[in-house]
Amino acid sequence: MSKTRSLIEFHNISFIYNKKDPNRFDAIKNINFTLEKGDFVALVGKTGSGKSTLVQTLNALLLPNEGYTRVQDFYITQNKELKKTLKKEHNLKGKDFKNYSNLRKEVGIVFQFPEYQLFSDSVLKDVMFGPKNFGMKEEEAKEAAINALNSVGIDKSYFKRSPFELSGGEKRRVAIAGIIASNPSILILDEPTVGLDPNGKEEILNLIKKIHESGKTIIVVTHDMDLVMNYAQKVVVLKDSKYIGTKTPKELFNSKDLTDYSLEIPTFYKFKKLLKNNELFKDDKSLENIDDLDSLTDYLLTFKKEKSN
Amino acid sequence: MATTSILGKYSPYNTILHRIDPRLKLFSLILLMVVVFLPFGNYTNRFMVLGVLALFIFILMLVGRVSFASFFKSLKAMWLMFIFLLIFMFFIPSEGKYPIHSFSNGYTLYYDGLLQVAHIMLRLILMIALTIVLTSTTTPMEITYSLEWFLAPLKLVRFPTQIVSLTISLALRFIPTLLNETNRIMNAQKSRGVDYNRGFLTSKIKSITTLIIPLLVSCFSRSDELAVAMEARGYNPYVKRSRYKTLKFRLRDLFSIIIVIIIAGGVIAFSVCSSNIEGFSDLINLLWGIKTI
Repeated sequence: MSKTRSLIEFHNISFIYNKKDPNRFDAIKNINFTLEKGDFVALVGKTGSGKSTLVQTLNALLLPNEGYTRVQDFYITQNKELKKTLKKEHNLKGKDFKNYSNLRKEVGIVFQFPEYQLFSDSVLKDVMFGPKNFGMKEEEAKEAAINALNSVGIDKSYFKRSPFELSGGEKRRVAIAGIIASNPSILILDEPTVGLDPNGKEEILNLIKKIHESGKTIIVVTHDMDLVMNYAQKVVVLKDSKYIGTKTPKELFNSKDLTDYSLEIPTFYKFKKLLKNNELFKDDKSLENIDDLDSLTDYLLTFKKEKSN
Repeated sequence: MATTSILGKYSPYNTILHRIDPRLKLFSLILLMVVVFLPFGNYTNRFMVLGVLALFIFILMLVGRVSFASFFKSLKAMWLMFIFLLIFMFFIPSEGKYPIHSFSNGYTLYYDGLLQVAHIMLRLILMIALTIVLTSTTTPMEITYSLEWFLAPLKLVRFPTQIVSLTISLALRFIPTLLNETNRIMNAQKSRGVDYNRGFLTSKIKSITTLIIPLLVSCFSRSDELAVAMEARGYNPYVKRSRYKTLKFRLRDLFSIIIVIIIAGGVIAFSVCSSNIEGFSDLINLLWGIKTI
């Protein structure tokens, strides 16, 4: 039986900033893991652990010094020896390593504060910019842009307005529309909720959830553990530029190493810890197995009922 | 992450050039730049002097562990200027001593045009190299302190030196920030399909627009935030300020300035004399006292 290939593969990749400089910084070291189609992955780790560098190799914005990143059939590396080996093994040509346009059409990256990438004189034109660059005709690009703007909840009345007149949350939604209009199969979001108010945050998260439900693979780089707990299926942990492991949110938040990774405990787990430390629940083992808000609510209601009886 | 600027970036080594007083480095930079642009009579003299200066700067680059990669990267931006100069100096009718080819319509191409282009380019390259030596071995704050020191006498005529030096220090302080910002915006636009390296001039101009507009928006918003933050912390440009770091002139600085003055003085003297010198043999004769000026 033939083994199914993963959608994304990080094969022993390392990336160094300022390699021949006293400011040299090994951003990622020997990272190996794979991701599957349709995954909703959260990439976590403390600042400087290599999260943003890692995702930028997926779009060939950074080329690994060692090893390769593979997205579908596209190999990304700057190591010449490795390129020769890959050419032989997979019957590739030199130009196959440089077709970045096709790769970037498949992998959309929404950077931190994406509102700073807006430049056109109208919202619609700005969103059409990406699809046109990737070869869509004017009419097709317009249709794709309108669909994208509708999906991020931007009203038609905004289409002809300057993007610089919008609020922070609206700008961010327009910037996300600018990426999803090109219909990438993999969407990467670097700190999508940073700097937003609670309503704006919830809107963006619901939007990401909706995009994931439409069959896209989502990778979110984040420090927001509530987001990880409520939305992610898998969590990839990085520490000191190295890959620690891929876990489920439940495994991660019940792990004792959480503070070692410099990750914040989600509000839910903080509350659960408070309950466990309380005299009333100290000896109750069933609380250990509760990992979502609905189950905890049921548990507390049952507990209250039992107590009143 | 940090990127390399066109005029180099500070490399935190601990070489003798890094330790020299920044005021001296700034003074030497200005002096050597003036020297590079002095006239030296004929082309033999010009290239000979520039060659000596190039050797001196090369030694400075080695001593200061200046990145040659970033130097050559900076020169890449000059190719357009080179072509422009070549067209103007070489192909546009001129007069000269050494003809290459005379056309039937009477127009003549001269070697002099080529030599002129090479001379100008060499001067510019040396100027860039000098600037890179300074920026690679001196922090922006040190440059600001030295500028403020040089401007200090102007306080006597009520010139606002503190405001000028603050403006310069802020400009220098924000160079790496803006470079990072540029890099970030470029990456964001690349992921939307913009290719900054390929395409014709019109598509390149279009691509640059996608970078310039967001960069300007970000600059204005940053400058607003900075002004408010400084005001909130009670900044008053007219109050006398003390310094955490004070600059001291040491013995090594004295040796360094002597070396620079000997080289610059020699070149200036040669420039003054060169009106009477026809070539290298005359220079040797001059040095041996056979020929008098």
